[in-house]
Amino acid sequence: MKQVININFHGRVVPIEVSAFDILKEYTASLNRFFASEDGKEEIINDIESRIGELFQERLKSGATCITDEDVNAIIRSMGRPEDFDTVESSATESAGTQQQAETDTSAEPGITVKARRLYRDENDKVFGGVCSGLANYFGIDKVVVRIIFIILAVSFGFGLIPYLILWIAVPSSATKEIGAVRKKLYRDSDDKIVAGVCSGIGNYFGINAWIPRVLFLLPFLSFATRWGNWGANYDFFDFVQVSFSPGALMAYIILWLVIPEALTTTEKLEMKGEKVDMNSIKNSVMEELKGVQHRAEKFGKEAGAIATEKTQAMGADIGRVAKRGGRSLGDVIAFLVKVFVYFILGCLVFAFVVALFSLGVVAIGLFPVKDFLLKDGWQNIFAWGTLIFFIAVPIIGIITWLIRKLARIRSNSKLMGFTFSGLWIIGWVCFTFLLASVTRDFKSGNNLYEEEIVLSNPAVDYLELTSVRPNQTVYRSNWFRLEPFENLDEDTAIVRNVRVQIIQSKTDSFRVVMHRMARGNTRRYADTLASLIQFNAVQQDSLLLLDRGIPITRKDKFRNQRVIITVFVPVGKRVKVDRSAANWHNVQFDGPWDDDRDWEVETKDIQHGWDFGVEYIMKKDGLYTIGGQPANQWEKEQKIIDDWDNSGTPDDTDRYRYDNRGDNRGATDSVLMKQQLEKQRVKDSLRKEKEEAEAQLNRLEARTDRSPILQTSSIMSYSPMLMIYP
Amino acid sequence: MNIENTASQMRKGVLEFCILSVIRQGEAYPSDIIDKMRAANLSIFEGTLYPLLTRLKNAELLTYRWVESSSGPPRKYFSLTEKGAAFYTELEATWNELANAVAALTSPIQASPPDPVA
Repeated sequence: MKQVININFHGRVVPIEVSAFDILKEYTASLNRFFASEDGKEEIINDIESRIGELFQERLKSGATCITDEDVNAIIRSMGRPEDFDTVESSATESAGTQQQAETDTSAEPGITVKARRLYRDENDKVFGGVCSGLANYFGIDKVVVRIIFIILAVSFGFGLIPYLILWIAVPSSATKEIGAVRKKLYRDSDDKIVAGVCSGIGNYFGINAWIPRVLFLLPFLSFATRWGNWGANYDFFDFVQVSFSPGALMAYIILWLVIPEALTTTEKLEMKGEKVDMNSIKNSVMEELKGVQHRAEKFGKEAGAIATEKTQAMGADIGRVAKRGGRSLGDVIAFLVKVFVYFILGCLVFAFVVALFSLGVVAIGLFPVKDFLLKDGWQNIFAWGTLIFFIAVPIIGIITWLIRKLARIRSNSKLMGFTFSGLWIIGWVCFTFLLASVTRDFKSGNNLYEEEIVLSNPAVDYLELTSVRPNQTVYRSNWFRLEPFENLDEDTAIVRNVRVQIIQSKTDSFRVVMHRMARGNTRRYADTLASLIQFNAVQQDSLLLLDRGIPITRKDKFRNQRVIITVFVPVGKRVKVDRSAANWHNVQFDGPWDDDRDWEVETKDIQHGWDFGVEYIMKKDGLYTIGGQPANQWEKEQKIIDDWDNSGTPDDTDRYRYDNRGDNRGATDSVLMKQQLEKQRVKDSLRKEKEEAEAQLNRLEARTDRSPILQTSSIMSYSPMLMIYP
Repeated sequence: MNIENTASQMRKGVLEFCILSVIRQGEAYPSDIIDKMRAANLSIFEGTLYPLLTRLKNAELLTYRWVESSSGPPRKYFSLTEKGAAFYTELEATWNELANAVAALTSPIQASPPDPVA
């Protein structure tokens, strides 16, 4: 009866008999002693051990339950004991000697590229992490060149460090060095699973209870659910955190599920549990790493120096040859840089794509509760689900999975996976196209617009305030984030705050309020029907005009850009105020190829711009003013300041707002452009005016200086600004 | 003078040449090299091969790259550098000279004179 232990031998977990392990330890110790004075000692022993590991694995694969004494002895017989080795003392010293003056052209044979190359950090030839030598090995260029590039980048720009660190982390090491140093691997734990064992696997890897990752994954969903519960049938809108993290957690789980292999064999299960990663083991490995750094850095310095002198010498001796070689390595470097650049651009594109899709996903999930108010049952609903899952979620999961697999170098039937993902995405595209087509059809036509008079009980008031807050009512807002115009969802009705207020100067001396109802539909008739179904009330109570808080949309009728525009005609000399609660600047609406800009048809030429919510205004002949006398339109206000300064405090009302009579229906952009042009013209005019004034002043001055003998000498001087101040 | 020592000295002399000629035929993994040499009835210990490969690599006659293996960590595959190829041709010439000389000296009848240019 023999005791069996598990050791980690060069990245492989090996069950081995205790006695066999002792033999193995003794053997490696003897190798260490034998090669103690050898130049490449570490590398040689590493190679031998790695081969032994391979032989162990072959033995285990062929059915052995563990490595026995006989196995180890057989392997040692095949490898040979140190005393059996032919000591080639002379060649060792010779090779050490030649190394100093050796050429550095270590590029691989260009013909041999049959097997797939893979980027590794070279454990055997490193200064810090072996990144540079790994890259050099990969691209077949001189490692010194790569190192120098990284040093230049790090010193001059500081960003050589970042790719180095990323590569250090992401690129696997060419070898694990120590016997017994357990390398933990992330597996899914099939023995302790709820869904797929992802959480328990993570728990094992970090040495924590599996419930910690589980709770972390579930947290967004839990809060989601509790909120739902709290609000019952009359739930409020979900806030941003819940909306964005729930799909995030779900996707992370699915990605981990796809990426992490399941621990099936005993070996894998052992690798999964591994050794506890504690501070001590981390410290040990870091110390181990650092010990070699100084030595290796010195060596690299010497090497680089030797190469530099050698290169200069060689250049003197044989310029042509060096030029040729230099040219080649320069070409390699350029090819490498181009490669890096292309990968960088590709990476950016992929990243942008994922971010865009993810935000789309967030918006889609955010809009989810209103889905039923938007989409018809049946096919449209199915297409919406298809779009969400296949068009948005699938590529995100696919790309991230692919990236992680690429980085972690997980080999598998990735072709099958690629086909599956692209197939699902094509389904997503189909769903998306159909959804878009179908929704577009539903929004195709607008309704016929007509004015509806809102009867005021007392149109002759001096002051009218538009509000949706009843005098004895307070409105609470509970969430810090919400999709603003949707409110108070319940089972059947959603309130959409698509209410806009316009102010127009009244021609009469009494207030007048007019309402336009707007909607869209697949036909003009249906749009008319939907518009007529909009229930929106406005009731006057003394100086208050109480508006409804929004437009109720029912599940049956769906949301088709229903909007209400309230136009208030304010007589000259009377005051008006629009409360924040009454209206919204931004309507919820789905714009698309169907939109023929009907919104602007309602606008008339003397509409007032620039007023703000919650501010009292008075209507004057030429527009709205605050009680303090400032014009409502901010831009015109600035213009007024210029004018004031222009005309030294005497406002000239005659033609200041001449451009205000735009009479255009062309929409906001056009009017802004036009305003800008007019503004330019205005400034030009005022500057010209200023110039004329200045010249007039100068003339006056000159007329005066004619009488003054002192300044008569030079008429040019009178143009100097100094003289402008003295008189 | 003991026979084993002399025999091992003789083998040692040609070992590097043999290894280089195996690698010259294509990129090789150390255990492949061993297998080929054993197939040719020239048995050496793997423990001897690795130090030799490392020394040849340090002398820049060989280079290696990591190749993914179906199981476990990647493997080192060795190939000749330009310098190694040049080194090999020199060794080959020497070997041919030597082989011809030995053949000429050891054969009882001098059938054909050794070709010095070969």
